[in-house]
Amino acid sequence: MVDLKLFEITKKQEALKGIRVLSVTRIIYGPWAATLLGLLGAEVIHVEFPGSGDLLIRGVSPGGSFPRGLSPGMMCANANKYFLAVDLKHPKGKKILEELVAVSDVLMENFKPGTFDQWGIGYRQLSQINPGLVYVSMQGFGNWGSLSNRPSYDAYAQGITGLAEITGFPEAIPLKSQAWIGDFLSGTVAAYLTLVALYYRRKTGKGQFIDLSQAEVLIRAMDWTWIYMGITGKNRERTGNRDVAVVPSLIAKAKDGFVAIGAFPESEYLALCDAMKDEEMKSYVALEERYKHARKIYERIESWVAEKSVEEIEKLAREYGFAASRVMSSKDIYEDSHYNSRKAVWKFVDPLWDDLAYPNPLANLDKTPGRVKWSMRPVGFDNEHVLARILGYSEEEIEELYREEVIGKWDEKFPATAPPPGWDGKKGLFY
Amino acid sequence: MAWEEVARSLTDLDKNREKPEALGDILVLDVSYGSFAGLFTTSLLSEMGAFVVRIEPPEGDIARKMAPYGLKVGDSSIAYLVEGRNKYHITLNIEHSKGREIFEELVAKVDVVVETFPTGKLDALDLGWEKLKGINPRLVLCSIKTYGEKGYLADEKQTPDTLDYDTVDQARSGFAWTVGIPEDYDEFPEHTRVPTKMGNWMAHYAGGAMAALAVMGALLFREVSGEGQHIDISPAEALMALNNYALHYYHLTGKVIGRVANFEPAAYAYNYFQAKDGMVFIAGYADPNWKALCDIIGRPDLVEKYPSLKDRTNPKNFIPMTQEIEKFTKQHTREEIQKIWQNYKGPGVTVAGEVLKPKETLEFDHWYERKALIKVKDKHYGELLVQGLPAKMSGTPPRLKWLCRPVGADNEFIYRQMLGYDQTYLERLRKEGVI
Repeated sequence: MVDLKLFEITKKQEALKGIRVLSVTRIIYGPWAATLLGLLGAEVIHVEFPGSGDLLIRGVSPGGSFPRGLSPGMMCANANKYFLAVDLKHPKGKKILEELVAVSDVLMENFKPGTFDQWGIGYRQLSQINPGLVYVSMQGFGNWGSLSNRPSYDAYAQGITGLAEITGFPEAIPLKSQAWIGDFLSGTVAAYLTLVALYYRRKTGKGQFIDLSQAEVLIRAMDWTWIYMGITGKNRERTGNRDVAVVPSLIAKAKDGFVAIGAFPESEYLALCDAMKDEEMKSYVALEERYKHARKIYERIESWVAEKSVEEIEKLAREYGFAASRVMSSKDIYEDSHYNSRKAVWKFVDPLWDDLAYPNPLANLDKTPGRVKWSMRPVGFDNEHVLARILGYSEEEIEELYREEVIGKWDEKFPATAPPPGWDGKKGLFY
Repeated sequence: MAWEEVARSLTDLDKNREKPEALGDILVLDVSYGSFAGLFTTSLLSEMGAFVVRIEPPEGDIARKMAPYGLKVGDSSIAYLVEGRNKYHITLNIEHSKGREIFEELVAKVDVVVETFPTGKLDALDLGWEKLKGINPRLVLCSIKTYGEKGYLADEKQTPDTLDYDTVDQARSGFAWTVGIPEDYDEFPEHTRVPTKMGNWMAHYAGGAMAALAVMGALLFREVSGEGQHIDISPAEALMALNNYALHYYHLTGKVIGRVANFEPAAYAYNYFQAKDGMVFIAGYADPNWKALCDIIGRPDLVEKYPSLKDRTNPKNFIPMTQEIEKFTKQHTREEIQKIWQNYKGPGVTVAGEVLKPKETLEFDHWYERKALIKVKDKHYGELLVQGLPAKMSGTPPRLKWLCRPVGADNEFIYRQMLGYDQTYLERLRKEGVI
């Protein structure tokens, strides 16, 4: 069946058409930032080392299994990229990178601070080659400062900033999100900043250096934590599934699942009280009362929800006029009519891996919708495309680079660096 | 010069004020209501130099009332103060016909409008996209709301007329499903073994960042095409996209990724451990790195017992492995562990770092050095500690100019500046309940 919405989207223009991004990035933080630009139409070249490639993420999968030869860890942050594998420590590899920089708009990297500078391909050197270059450096703690030698891991960023300590129940343990939110959120902010810098460059021709620490992005996203502690001198404690600023706003356990409820304006709060048939709750309608009796209000809502099914609560919310929604699993989301109709759940046919599904948060830009075109690719899969089409290398030159091991392809020994089993040598190649 | 010094001088924060602002020519109307996603979007834009006019109804945005434990400073919840930054605060009643006319006049003059009303509300006020783009074809209208502006529920008129709650967004994103303690970890109380929301308003921050990105994409496209457009972002969908591979994996395998507490379903060690004085994060998951970890704690037997990635990502092994490693970590403080790991010079890469209470986090100079945390003296709200500016940029660094302003504080200035209204006229509008 033809998916009309998909068809309609793919006919439209792309916001970042003509922008070329060189992404020499690893794991999630850098790759995700570049992917977002790719969703909006930028041409993204993902650079790895030949052979194992970015094994620290290609090797990541629950239970160590790789469905169809795909890596879940790699695929989620690497859509819409051309995969180049080049040895950047080899003088000829470095030359390839410099040639690419000369014809690119953005370079993204998330190696340890100073690594690129040491290799002679840092901002100092590359901005000489291309003064319009936007150079985005993404680390755990930034390129300078007293913690800048600390390693960059999402779970560390969630730990050291206190984000984990404010998540979860006071009677249990601090919780990090299972998702690598330090990487993903920071990557999103990095993509935003890149576009800001490109906007400025359009007006002035000038590129710049951007240094973004993932720990600092998490600190930025911790809403009232810091201002609260500055005023009260008290630590911000965990409060489980109850919001202490927006009362009530919570996740509660129903008979057959979990449901989120919100009812902050008076009208919504009273609607909830009516749905609960709870007159006493109504006496707390004034906000001061709600903060004073927050615990009691939450307990009453929780015991009311416990007697109902998720569907009943959702129905009552629509009927009475407060907010409620089930806590959705990936299966619920995958099957949801609304998300499918919006292409927020993006089901498509990948040129190499066949049918796949991705979230697409940028599907609903009416002139330039974001789109997922293809998934991760094997190490060095697009070497020929990049070297011949973009840099104009001849077949012989490329052959020689392979012989000298300056460029290379995947290594079947390592999981998810290679094409799917039984690959015919052609499928999915753009060149 | 060492790289660290180069990087520091490139992004010298003391020189920020001397440098240009990237979005100095962009005008934004933030008519968001009760939404930190909307507020964060325009905070990001205003930090980069956009001129942001924050429009509240005459009684103020309800977000000003979202106060943790009821804590306010002056007229505003402390949460609102954080996201009032660099914005001009005016009031306008767009439910009033006169207010709508004024809104249209403002729309004609700006580049971006950010709104967070319930789905369909702008249309109902006759201020929908079709109307606004007629007024200003170069306009970028950014709608941010749980259910979005289009799609099945909108077509069926089944979207609720409520605020956009972060909790609801977290629930609908699939994120909450994967955060929390699993049902069978019965050493924890029952009510804590449930899908758990992030402690902060994570969906709203994700939605705000995604919206700001989309706005910049649209502004760049406008540079080329001359056309504005309507952006429709859902914080739930934004957070969904940040939830690792949960959705991709379901499609591939039919398996739902569930909760794993502080473990990582795809790697071990990559989790938190109990130390003497709290918790520590330790990573060492690829084979050589796992070996390094076991080497540090003097337990080569664990390498033999759990030799491969497959053994280590078997959820049945998570707790036994952790108990073995905790025999070591429980003997040391978080700081000691961090140092032991940092001093390891053998083969393989393994790291350890402390899990801190926000109060302990505050003690690092790093955040202040880099202005990630700033103590500001605000004219209206006094001396406060707030998060500053994560981005360090050599060319067009962000700035924090002021923290917030009271409801309607900039009415005179903005209405005069943008629409040429004089004092008498403003007084009339005030009497009529328009501002």
